Amino acid sequence: MANSYDLIIIGGGPAGLSAAIYGGRAKLKTLVINKGTIGGLVDTTREIVNYPGYIQVSGPDLMKDFKKHAEHFNVEFLKEEVISVDFSQEEKIIKTKKGKELSAKAVILACGSEPRILNIPGEKTLRGSGVAYCATCDAEFFEGEDVVVVGSGDQAIEEGMYITKFARKVTVIVLHDEGVLDCNKVSAERAFNNEKMEFIWNSTIEAVLGEENVEGVKIKNLKTGGSSELTCQGVFFFVGMIPSTHFLKDSGLETDKRGYIPVNEGMETNLEGIYAVGDNRVKYLRQVVSAAGDGATAAVAAERYIEELNYFNSNIIQSDKKILLLFFNVLVNESLEFSTLLEGLISENADEYKIFKVDMATKKSLAGKYQIEKVPAVVVLDKGEEIKRLDCSMDKEQLKSQLS
Amino acid sequence: MSLQQLNSTRFEEIIYDNCEPCLVIFSKKECHVCKEVVPMLEELKPQYDGKFGFYYVDVEEDKELFQRFSLKGVPQILFFNNGEYQGKLAGKVEEESVEEKISEVLGV
Repeated sequence: MANSYDLIIIGGGPAGLSAAIYGGRAKLKTLVINKGTIGGLVDTTREIVNYPGYIQVSGPDLMKDFKKHAEHFNVEFLKEEVISVDFSQEEKIIKTKKGKELSAKAVILACGSEPRILNIPGEKTLRGSGVAYCATCDAEFFEGEDVVVVGSGDQAIEEGMYITKFARKVTVIVLHDEGVLDCNKVSAERAFNNEKMEFIWNSTIEAVLGEENVEGVKIKNLKTGGSSELTCQGVFFFVGMIPSTHFLKDSGLETDKRGYIPVNEGMETNLEGIYAVGDNRVKYLRQVVSAAGDGATAAVAAERYIEELNYFNSNIIQSDKKILLLFFNVLVNESLEFSTLLEGLISENADEYKIFKVDMATKKSLAGKYQIEKVPAVVVLDKGEEIKRLDCSMDKEQLKSQLS
Repeated sequence: MSLQQLNSTRFEEIIYDNCEPCLVIFSKKECHVCKEVVPMLEELKPQYDGKFGFYYVDVEEDKELFQRFSLKGVPQILFFNNGEYQGKLAGKVEEESVEEKISEVLGV
């Protein structure tokens, strides 16, 4: 089937592209679905100085290299927006806005995040008329004017300094006490030394004022509770990001209350065959380098999962003989001894049964599927259907009687 | 289908002389939101072939044009009909909003 893949990655930022590189190299039929330009948030970053191997590079240039690398391993790309998913079956279904339906054995969610909207009066209606979210895009429209920046993280302060190249004055509205910014120390120091930068502390913004264009902002002081107005022609919002996971709402996928997806060490979500990487997962550090690491981990985990799935489907479900799924763990001696005993028993009578050994350490999805928590354990399958479970006795006769 | 780029002379001809019903996206190269909106318009364009024009202005190449409409940012899609300005859509707009606005301008 043309629309059927081994691995589909939703999102084309550094996490998604790294997963694609690993997926492609593992010879998985891999597709990246991306709604905008390749590179995600990195595409909006002017300068990256902390991605290993690149002393200084622009975001778009770095992402072009990532994409080229993925294409080198025959990864396919589709420019579309995903609007709904069905992860309930073994074959995962993805639907796009243009009505395309795609399927995959495993899916990696690398959807990233988007700017948070404060939803204050004037923010929406004056968008493009003075309200802005991207300094690279819009700073030059404020040549010689007064601009307000809301927020004090890396992005707010660095973009704010970029805006000073054009604006007459940039006033930063900061939630914290005087002198405290959320951004890195180097940027903070530069900002304090920038003559065009001013700061209003302990404050937030209540409304954007103006009819046709931005004429000012209403500022609330959090300490005194008092409000004041400040005249300006532009307002740039940098008040953090929210994960772009809204289309997954009804998929059964677990998220925290802010929408971030919790995963384990292998980037596995609560759903089998579904992984989450990069900015849309719960994590400590949101950088290109950590996103790339996530992508690699998830692709390897997905590769193992798919391999297991394929093996299981071709060897277990289609087997003429009854299958004994034998769950073991090398750390549990009892399970190894039992394994030897059972194998000995079956070799005497190889016509009816075949043993399929499952290592609990690597084949977690199978263990999960049959809800195995203790080893040794044996599930008896006939044409893929469970017919019974064995009492894992070390008594040979007792064991033998269960198999007759 | 790619959008035809306008400079100020062509802009005058199409908008004010020919009075063509059309939209003009004001965009620039280094703008990631523009890179999402422009392809959306390119895909939409064939549906309106002969009925509604789709044009493109690069604000860095034609500063005078965005200053005339006192625009504060890109991308912005400006709508025109009978030589008159009919409103604009700013930022990351969805296909549906553009279609709606076109219907409104065409009065259908």
